[in-house]
Amino acid sequence: MKRFLLFAAFLATLLFCGCEDSARPKLVMATNAEFPPYEYLVGEQIDGIDPAIVRLIAEKLDRDVKIDNMKFDSVIAAVQTGKADIAASGLTVTEDRKKQVLFTIPYIVAEQLIIVPENSPIKAKADLKGKRVGVQLGTTGDTYMTENIQQPERFDNGALAVSALISGKLDAVVIDNEPAKVYVQKHPGLIILSEPLTVEEYAFAFNKKDTELCAKFNAELQKLKESGELDEIIRSYKEGQQQEEEAGSGTFWGKIKHSFYLNFVKDKRYMYLIKGFLVTLEITVFAVLIGIVIGFLVAIVRSTADQTRNKSFLLKFLDSLCKIYLTVIRGTPVVVQLLIIYFVIFGAVDVSKVLVAIIAFGINSGAYVAEIFRAGIMSIDRGQMEAGRSLGLSYAQTMQSVIVPQAFKNVLPALGNELIVLLKETSVAGYIALQDLTKGGDIIRSQTYDAFMPLIAVALIYLSVVMLLTYLLGRLERSLKTNE
Amino acid sequence: MNNVIFDIAGLTKEFGTLAAVSNVSTQIKRGEAVFVVGPSGSGKSTFLRCLNLLETPTSGTIRFKDQVITDDSLNINHYRQNVGMVFQHFNLFPNLTIHQNITLAPLKTQRMTHQEADERADALLKRIGLYDKRDVYPAQLSGGQKQRVAIVRALAMNPDVLLFDEPTSALDPEMVGEVLALMKDLAQEGMTMVVVTHEIGFAAEVADRIIFMDHGQIVVSGTPDEVIRNSTIPRVRDFFSKVL
Repeated sequence: MKRFLLFAAFLATLLFCGCEDSARPKLVMATNAEFPPYEYLVGEQIDGIDPAIVRLIAEKLDRDVKIDNMKFDSVIAAVQTGKADIAASGLTVTEDRKKQVLFTIPYIVAEQLIIVPENSPIKAKADLKGKRVGVQLGTTGDTYMTENIQQPERFDNGALAVSALISGKLDAVVIDNEPAKVYVQKHPGLIILSEPLTVEEYAFAFNKKDTELCAKFNAELQKLKESGELDEIIRSYKEGQQQEEEAGSGTFWGKIKHSFYLNFVKDKRYMYLIKGFLVTLEITVFAVLIGIVIGFLVAIVRSTADQTRNKSFLLKFLDSLCKIYLTVIRGTPVVVQLLIIYFVIFGAVDVSKVLVAIIAFGINSGAYVAEIFRAGIMSIDRGQMEAGRSLGLSYAQTMQSVIVPQAFKNVLPALGNELIVLLKETSVAGYIALQDLTKGGDIIRSQTYDAFMPLIAVALIYLSVVMLLTYLLGRLERSLKTNE
Repeated sequence: MNNVIFDIAGLTKEFGTLAAVSNVSTQIKRGEAVFVVGPSGSGKSTFLRCLNLLETPTSGTIRFKDQVITDDSLNINHYRQNVGMVFQHFNLFPNLTIHQNITLAPLKTQRMTHQEADERADALLKRIGLYDKRDVYPAQLSGGQKQRVAIVRALAMNPDVLLFDEPTSALDPEMVGEVLALMKDLAQEGMTMVVVTHEIGFAAEVADRIIFMDHGQIVVSGTPDEVIRNSTIPRVRDFFSKVL
């Protein structure tokens, strides 16, 4: 009966979510959908314990839920900066986090468990000292290990940490109890130690200013608790999780085939790769265009300033501006730039993540393209400029008709290389929860607990594109060489 | 009509503390072929490059026809359209065909329409016997052919004067002749020319006037007979006895 109610409520929320232009206020939920059964992707939809609870309560508060999927370590920041209203991502209540966000009452009490291989010398929490221990970045296990035992090895998601444990790169993995049970069930060689590392409470988090909303949410959550609905939701998801597909049996090829089926065919998982690939292409193409425009302008300013003896104030100003741009962009990692543009520059604005990525990678690439172009311009013999000027052409005319066409041809191989680098660099777009190709592979991995197939598939796609680009650039170079 | 093309007074060009050209005064008249000779490092090329402002003079004045070109107010691009320059290393534009090399400046400076520029380029190429190379790129020409194209590229703008900066120094010996022949033709047609060269024999044959420079200064200036054959100045006699 309760199950039926739950299902009805879920259907209702789905229905409401379906109509985009409903006038109800939105409740933006920040989560990291790689943490089954709390949150995980089913096709395009995010499901799990957290989304189910939030959807149910949002319905009672007359709000539409919009789920924003991002890296786990961005979830808290999203609430703090106002990008999301509520963080629902299996968040543990800690003293540190309490200073940053406003927690609801806990909806679950969870343990951080220690997973080890069957014959491991690690028998209890105390044995972890000095061992290689993997955790999921930003989780309670991470914090506890760091503060009380030693620096752990931090992974983006639990599946990666478990893969590392299986391949012998780690001695133990610390992870929340629910996923831990799933992993151990998947991988027969692993066991969970009876002594948990920590016992913790899960709660949702709001922005510190949202006290009123948090109070209303708490009231509804309390009702769910008292009615037993909450436990019902949690149990249903945990059971569902255990009914996940069984491993393929039989021959080596049978296993490979089954793994292929699980990773790519089942639930149309190949769509993660296709959609991710299109996003990667979209980001790369537009970022390259922005990069070439910025790079070209900066290179012109820089080389003009270098070649001019009596610089005007404007030229000096532009030149210093370009120098600062080059220094800052080339002196900081692209991931950091991406995060700054997303969380700081566009912190208070609701802007498309693809656009943010295009801007970030475009600005980043511009700095490298600028230096490539500048080197190209500098490589042209001084006599070319003198010949153009001696015929009465202006500096700009000589640049346009003589210098730049030659420079462009000279730098084509370097530009092609920059394009290839950029294509691969966009793989860090997942940091702002963009579902690019790499992230697509991550999502599959988080659902199937298999690292091999998704990673190899992602690698092969990148490789094919790069090989195609290399071939096309080679042809372009040859066709430009015909006049020499 | 004023017969003086260049009136140069007290021209000095310093690079840091080194005076490459020091207090040079002379005139170049319309139709004159003036050859500037002298030892390496004597400031010949710097002097020539000052004439079309590829080098900015440190002091002194240069008057071009009625215009003082050493003024800051000068429209430098407009001025240079009247003064052609031929370089030691040709400096053809490798990204453009021979025909485009010649028509680029007339078109970009809007001196000619497309049709005029095409006709002018074709006529000039026929004149130097390279019309069949019209649509090839400079890389496919020999050194002598390149330099002859560079000369007609400068001519295409119908300049008042042509400046030559050691036009045969980068050529293989067997190609020097064809370039010198073209220059001689131009001189005989009355083209005003200022030529920096080491081809003393050619200078003696073609020049209306020879300027001998040393240490950035004009040592002597006069007809080939006066300067090359009959000079009484020891420095000058010494130089020509070695190169002739």
